[in-house]
Amino acid sequence: MVSIDLLAQTVSNGILLGGIYALAALGLSLIFGIMDVVNLAHGHLLMLGGYVAIVLFTMAGLSPLVGMLAAMLVLFVIGIVLQRALLERVVDEGIEQPILVLFGVALVFQNLGQHFLGSDAQSTELTLGLGGLNLGSVLLSPSRTVTFVIAVLLVVLTWLFLEYTSTGHAIRATSQNRAAARYVGIDTDRIYMLTMGIGAALAGAAGSLLSMLFPIDPYVGWSYLLKSFAVVVLGGVGSIIGTLVGGVILGTAENVTALFLGGSYRDVMTFTIFLLVLLLKPEGLFGTGGGGE
Amino acid sequence: MNTDRFMLGVPSSKRTVAASLVVLAAMLVVPFVTTSYYTGLAMTALVFLMLGVSWNLLAGYAGQISLGHAAFFGLGAYVAAWLTTPSAAGLPAIPFPLSHPVVALVLGGVGAALVALVTGPVMFRLRGHYFAIGTLALAAIIRLILTDQRSISGGSTGYYLNAGMGEIPTYLLTVVVAALATIGVYLVVNSRLGLGMRAIHDDETAASGLGVDPLRYKMYAFLISAFVAGLAGAAYALNSLYINPTSTLAVTWTVDTLVIVILGGMGTVAGPLFGTVIFMIIDNGLASVLGGLATTVEGIIIILVVIFLPNGIYGYLKSYVAQRREGDTATSS
Repeated sequence: MVSIDLLAQTVSNGILLGGIYALAALGLSLIFGIMDVVNLAHGHLLMLGGYVAIVLFTMAGLSPLVGMLAAMLVLFVIGIVLQRALLERVVDEGIEQPILVLFGVALVFQNLGQHFLGSDAQSTELTLGLGGLNLGSVLLSPSRTVTFVIAVLLVVLTWLFLEYTSTGHAIRATSQNRAAARYVGIDTDRIYMLTMGIGAALAGAAGSLLSMLFPIDPYVGWSYLLKSFAVVVLGGVGSIIGTLVGGVILGTAENVTALFLGGSYRDVMTFTIFLLVLLLKPEGLFGTGGGGE
Repeated sequence: MNTDRFMLGVPSSKRTVAASLVVLAAMLVVPFVTTSYYTGLAMTALVFLMLGVSWNLLAGYAGQISLGHAAFFGLGAYVAAWLTTPSAAGLPAIPFPLSHPVVALVLGGVGAALVALVTGPVMFRLRGHYFAIGTLALAAIIRLILTDQRSISGGSTGYYLNAGMGEIPTYLLTVVVAALATIGVYLVVNSRLGLGMRAIHDDETAASGLGVDPLRYKMYAFLISAFVAGLAGAAYALNSLYINPTSTLAVTWTVDTLVIVILGGMGTVAGPLFGTVIFMIIDNGLASVLGGLATTVEGIIIILVVIFLPNGIYGYLKSYVAQRREGDTATSS
């Protein structure tokens, strides 16, 4: 029998982890919503972001928070390059070509990571002069709390950007109707580039934040891709609140499963939830997704 | 001019049959005229050929991009292992006809097809991107569960098979099975069944408007595809006599299969054959030069071929030949 205290601790850790999942999923959701492409390399972009923070931490001793900003910058550039060099050529060519091209990109990242950074899992450490927050019997560890706050902050900032800037409006217009966006003078090619850049930067941020909690190795890409996609499916494409709630549900479900069934069932539960939601409620819990395409 | 045509021409059906028989005969004599190293390479090529043929049917003809093909390969391998060597999984002794390697091989395919039968109606509620990612998740679930169930899968320590057939008989069996699988899929794609699959690939809504039930044709493609992938897995297990969840269920099998079919040409019968030959050269030639970066080159090949040669190398050759022909007729008339 699991004690109530332990369960409460597990659930709160899951909620905090869910913030980062929401951040990773927001990037995927943005790219999907605007370009109608599921970024199969999203988990691998996240992995690269984690490694930017790890390399800066182990080689230069930089705090992973600085590493996160660097990772966002690096991944923003990688996203733009991917769009310019590859995706631009296949993005409106049906679904097979983008799937296969992005699958190829994921393989290249994974293999390069394995070759140049080694297969051993590495992580960063967040050193803050803070103690954990005590809520009754539940302890919110400083690194989990800080990463959660940053993740949610980035999600909100992205939302504000989309909602209140003219570029944000152009992005949303493109997602609603690309042809109409063109007629009113929006450079949709530029919007696609920007979207890919922002999506990749958000994945990079999520990877850096995760490196403060869990070790990262070059093979984590597929697993985080499925997790991010599960959150998108749970929350619905394009819904910020849905994405946050989806992240929290996934993080909590994973941690509770690990507590009752053992750590090796953590991912089994994630993928099962994902398949179930996809099958039973393809429009997502918040009703804006499009499960048919 | 005529020699040109002979060299480049799309072979007539008689020539295709003759060429296929020569290749088949050559594959059959490999173990008797070369070393065991080359037999091993030929064996690997046959396994890849079966995987390529099976994925091509599902993705190239029926248009369902599955990223979970490794699951059926691995299930085929494990069924063959459980039947030939039940004691290693703590299963009771399996009676004779079922435990024979030839029967175990076929049942490996049947086992994979049964899983496809159960999961198919569920997976095909998903379309396009969702189907691709759904199959990726399904394969991950199967791999994680088998890895965790050490008693039946051997866990990471692995599972030793005691199939007792010897290297050469296993190889010859695989040649026969691979040939039958290739011919079988060829017959399927040229039948009414194949026509239905291509119809739902081109336009699902239009096809169903004309009375082609998409789910039914997708299921046929999925079942046959899983069956052949299971055969490939069982052949792999009977030949290597050692398997573990990673060596049989890892995403690498899916990756290599995709490379083969995309390289050769999706939706063509000759595509997987071309792709297998080129892949074997890349995998063995380039790997020794490039070492650990071989997968990067594979990834780049996928990207470049998809963007620049969307019909694969066979498709490119075919259209090249067709163009030459047109040129010929133009000059002669």
